[in-house]
Amino acid sequence: MSTDPAPGAPHGLPSLDPVIHAQPRLRVVVALAALGEEDEVSFPRLQQLVGMTAGNLSTHLRKLEEAGYVTVKKTYRRRTPVTYISLARAGRRAFEDYTVALQALLAEAPSLATRERVS
Amino acid sequence: MLRQGDAVGTAGPEPGGDEAPSPQASLALIHSWRREAAGRLFGIPELALAGWGVAWLLGFGACYLASSSPRAAFPAWVAYLILGVTSAAAGVVSAVETVRPGRGIIGPSRRAAAWYGWSWMLAYAGLFVLILGLAVQGLPPALLARLWPGFAVLIGGVLYVAGGALWQDRLLYLLGAWTVIVGAASTFAGTPGNFAVLSLAGGGGLIAAAILLVLRRVPGRSGA
Repeated sequence: MSTDPAPGAPHGLPSLDPVIHAQPRLRVVVALAALGEEDEVSFPRLQQLVGMTAGNLSTHLRKLEEAGYVTVKKTYRRRTPVTYISLARAGRRAFEDYTVALQALLAEAPSLATRERVS
Repeated sequence: MLRQGDAVGTAGPEPGGDEAPSPQASLALIHSWRREAAGRLFGIPELALAGWGVAWLLGFGACYLASSSPRAAFPAWVAYLILGVTSAAAGVVSAVETVRPGRGIIGPSRRAAAWYGWSWMLAYAGLFVLILGLAVQGLPPALLARLWPGFAVLIGGVLYVAGGALWQDRLLYLLGAWTVIVGAASTFAGTPGNFAVLSLAGGGGLIAAAILLVLRRVPGRSGA
């Protein structure tokens, strides 16, 4: 579904969602996608899962939240504020589309894949 | 969702943290991160399996040795002590491996895991009361000794089958089916033969499943 060439994509290749196609945000999305649907994770636990500083994670979460990909819920547990994060439906969908687009890119342009190898 | 001009690389304040990897690198990262996240979120279930495997192997093995006639290796209470201590240790390992990965997570999957954990306690508490009731009613110890070990293993098998169905885990389901068969069939061996069957086939099956789980985690294998 996402392999339709997006406007501006070169040679009819699918474009990659820039919100997800950034290493730290991709990492956050992968961690959230590993949770069950409707599961929520606390901010410190997510921080531990992705290995980021609090400030760093906040910044990327804001980006993801602005795109409607994650839901950030602030609540109280035993009178202490806790923030719970979950992958929104749009985020799960966008992540699926992103991986499909990646695979399509690799299938259609193998040269692109071998051009820059990151181990 | 995709806003034009929202260029990659302008998001984070930290330099170098926002680089866009190549498609191949992205896929590789997704795979490795997914595996890493799954490992942290689901704990180490093979530890619990191996724990119960060792408990059954040693505990039922000791019961066998204690009740083999004419000359028992050691008194029965030693065997029950071994079974009790190893089972308690396995119970602690299982509880820790159920609770630890769920820290900071709320939602349906955590509820499912917690309820599943409680169902083990419930089932074995129920078995204890059932056997106690039969003993109070005067069921001969020789019959009890054929009944409770098979029941204990069968209950474990039923719960593994349920867990396999719940998490769509074929290995866990097959382990459960095997364990049900071992528990049920053990009664045909009489005592002390039933203890040998439960120790080797029951405990051995759990340990084998734990080893298969470890192998499944090795990168590059399917189902990881």
